[in-house]
Amino acid sequence: MADIGNVGSPTENTMPNVQVSGKPTFSERMQLLMYRVRQDWQIYVLLAPAIIWFLIFLYKPMYGLQIAFKDYSVFLGITGSDWVGLEHFQTLFGSDQFLRAVRNTIQISAWSLLFGFPAPIILALMFNEILKETFKKTAQTIVYLPHFISSVIIAGIIITAFSPSAGVVNTFLSWIGIDPVYFLTKPEWFRPIFIGTGIWQEAGFQSIVFLASIAGVNPSLYESAVVDGASRWQMMWKITLPSILPTIIIMLIIRIGNIMEVSFEMIILLYQPATYETADVVNTFIYRQGIQGGQYDLAAAAGLFNAVVAFTLVMTANTISKRFSRTSLW
Amino acid sequence: MHKLKLTALAVATSVLATTAPAVLAADDLKITDKPLELTIHMHHKRYTSYDENWPVEKAACEWTNVCLKNATIGSNTTNSEEAMNLLLASGKLPDIVGSGRIKDVANQYGPQGAFQPLEELIEKHAPNLQAFFEQNPAIKSSLKAADGHIYYLPYAPDGKYGRAFFIRYDWLDKLGLEVPDTVEEYENVLRAFKTQDPNGNGIADEVPYFARQWEELIRLVTLWDGRSSGSDTYHDYYVDNGQIKHPYAEVGYREGMKNLARWYKEGLIDAEIFTRGSSSREYLLSENLGGATHDWFASTAGYNDSLAEKVPGFAFKAMVPPASVSGVQMEEHRRIPVKPDGWAMGGTNKHPVETIKYMDFWFGEEGRRLSNFGIEGEQYTMVDGKPQFTEEFLASGNVNSQLYLIGAQLQARGYWMDYNYEIQWSNKYALEGIDLYESGDYLVDQFLGVAFNEKEQKVYDRYAAQLRTYMLERQQAWILGTGDVEADWDDYMKTLNKMGLSKVLDVMQSAYDRQYGS
Repeated sequence: MADIGNVGSPTENTMPNVQVSGKPTFSERMQLLMYRVRQDWQIYVLLAPAIIWFLIFLYKPMYGLQIAFKDYSVFLGITGSDWVGLEHFQTLFGSDQFLRAVRNTIQISAWSLLFGFPAPIILALMFNEILKETFKKTAQTIVYLPHFISSVIIAGIIITAFSPSAGVVNTFLSWIGIDPVYFLTKPEWFRPIFIGTGIWQEAGFQSIVFLASIAGVNPSLYESAVVDGASRWQMMWKITLPSILPTIIIMLIIRIGNIMEVSFEMIILLYQPATYETADVVNTFIYRQGIQGGQYDLAAAAGLFNAVVAFTLVMTANTISKRFSRTSLW
Repeated sequence: MHKLKLTALAVATSVLATTAPAVLAADDLKITDKPLELTIHMHHKRYTSYDENWPVEKAACEWTNVCLKNATIGSNTTNSEEAMNLLLASGKLPDIVGSGRIKDVANQYGPQGAFQPLEELIEKHAPNLQAFFEQNPAIKSSLKAADGHIYYLPYAPDGKYGRAFFIRYDWLDKLGLEVPDTVEEYENVLRAFKTQDPNGNGIADEVPYFARQWEELIRLVTLWDGRSSGSDTYHDYYVDNGQIKHPYAEVGYREGMKNLARWYKEGLIDAEIFTRGSSSREYLLSENLGGATHDWFASTAGYNDSLAEKVPGFAFKAMVPPASVSGVQMEEHRRIPVKPDGWAMGGTNKHPVETIKYMDFWFGEEGRRLSNFGIEGEQYTMVDGKPQFTEEFLASGNVNSQLYLIGAQLQARGYWMDYNYEIQWSNKYALEGIDLYESGDYLVDQFLGVAFNEKEQKVYDRYAAQLRTYMLERQQAWILGTGDVEADWDDYMKTLNKMGLSKVLDVMQSAYDRQYGS
């Protein structure tokens, strides 16, 4: 796991003789880059597959984004279709259902950020405090496990668990004298169930990155704390948490960038027309409208809108973080 | 029978008389002297690629001298639309394009040149298709694209019946009840199932009405003279005296929803109907909990055999539709006579005449038998001039799956199903049920769909999907009791119109009038 917060500074004594007074010109910067590539070519070879992957799978498809502004016909192709300007965006923003989907997306994301983001951190801190190795390993394996189960199966488990006639949840409720609730058709229950499922499924796996970060904390810090008579609780608050704070912030920025990307396959498996009110998100709206209805251009427009919002959010989060905590993605 | 033969003969001769000598003698099926190879894309969710080694295809190749070569794109997906898009995006279309979803693609891209118009070729070179269209003018109309041309040939199902009302006859006997004839009696029977413990386990765990698809609950609005769909697709538009309507914006629907909400609240309907899903029939029947449903004849009747040991006395049989409040007995679901599956001729095909003759072959006697029953002597033998599946073949497992394996009943081909093939392996309860339904006139005409022109398509795309979303949201809310249909109705209708219902109905109507000519 890469140590994100603490990348070694690339200063070397053998820098080329480039004057770095004021702003370096483009040719000077290129010269510097070429020098570095020659110097550390092995590292750049290792980097190459990732760059190629980005170019092929993320940058090249951007060419197709133009269909958001076109009357797209599969047969005529991307270049052959006619331009229609902002028509698809007008359609989207003229639709109450789209606006509702945007609202729902933001709400679901905000709630799952609030509850879902701290969960893996807490979990990692808890694992860190366990001293018995076998118990720790077993517990970790158990919490990682749901991550590897397909969403279809998870949805099946959830539907069964919350079933009014045979589900564990309602069986339990009936013991304490509460009438069975048909949870999955109640709009007010959709978000808690969905977000809870997300935490159950992913918190364990996401804790890995924080555990790795905790493992990187200098042990001498703890040793001197013990000498000073600090309690375990104090060590966690004063040493562990501040040490992994850069990782937490980076993960938070990345998470904010994904705020428009609610795991929609899970929603499709769990939602009903009865719960659209709280469950319908941008991606499910795109799915119903675009993919099922064959309107690829409209779906592309909605996707583009999503991407622009996410981009703005990441930029903002990064700037804020840079200003206040000096930790940032770039 | 004799009369039928004569008319068929008359049709055939009239076709012969009007067409060029290109028509071949009946016993000579050769289309070309030299073998001709045509390329084909064939994609269906059950077989994602064409196989030249299918025995049926080998026979067709031998008989007609036209042999197909596989050129399927996207055979690694089971989604035919996706495969079709990959094919179109590749820019090179094979001579024949067969798909589980050909209709929309052909109607949309045919006018742009992706596929060849077929009606002239059919008139000149395809006597079997010509005869089929003369017998089924509505099917011919339904194939037309917005520009008036025909760009594909469909899979045409045969036989009338699809779903039916099923009920536990043994439970009725046990409680001393009659098979319900009217909606009131139906309600009383369901209530008795709920309260009088017909499965005898001492717990009121019976689920009176259940369904694998929750839309089959909405289907019950027909009992209050509402409609739930005009075709075999759920929530579809329907035609009322030449007028296109949406079932969910009509008064009968409102009345039905009001009563179904009441039934739901009382527990006459499976409380979990929206989430129980496709395994509900298997589960509720085998656990001896389910009382009544609305489902397909053959597969539902099959439980009488498979559960005979597990549930003693089990008798889950069809009943005629109960009379509605105004006394109408309607079975809204039926087998639709034309499906969106089929095949089309690629725009760059250099042998249109041979291709249409080849497509025509499958609508002829030999081709139809081949595509329905497989190979004579292997899967079937001729008994009294009719194909009859052999005992060994019927015993070899699921008949449809076995037929796909040899290349028969391929719905990504334009062909005409022969219902006799299915009768031969339906169990006796299904056949009894069908006889029961034959005894009355319960079916309604189906809406076979329209092809939009560009302008109409835009209007439809803009409003239709959102309208449906809204309708379904309200529908479930009413059933679940979070809304009251009576109180909400005026608002509901106002919202529908604000969301463009009347605009969608208008374009539907203009497309319908153009296509079916009123």
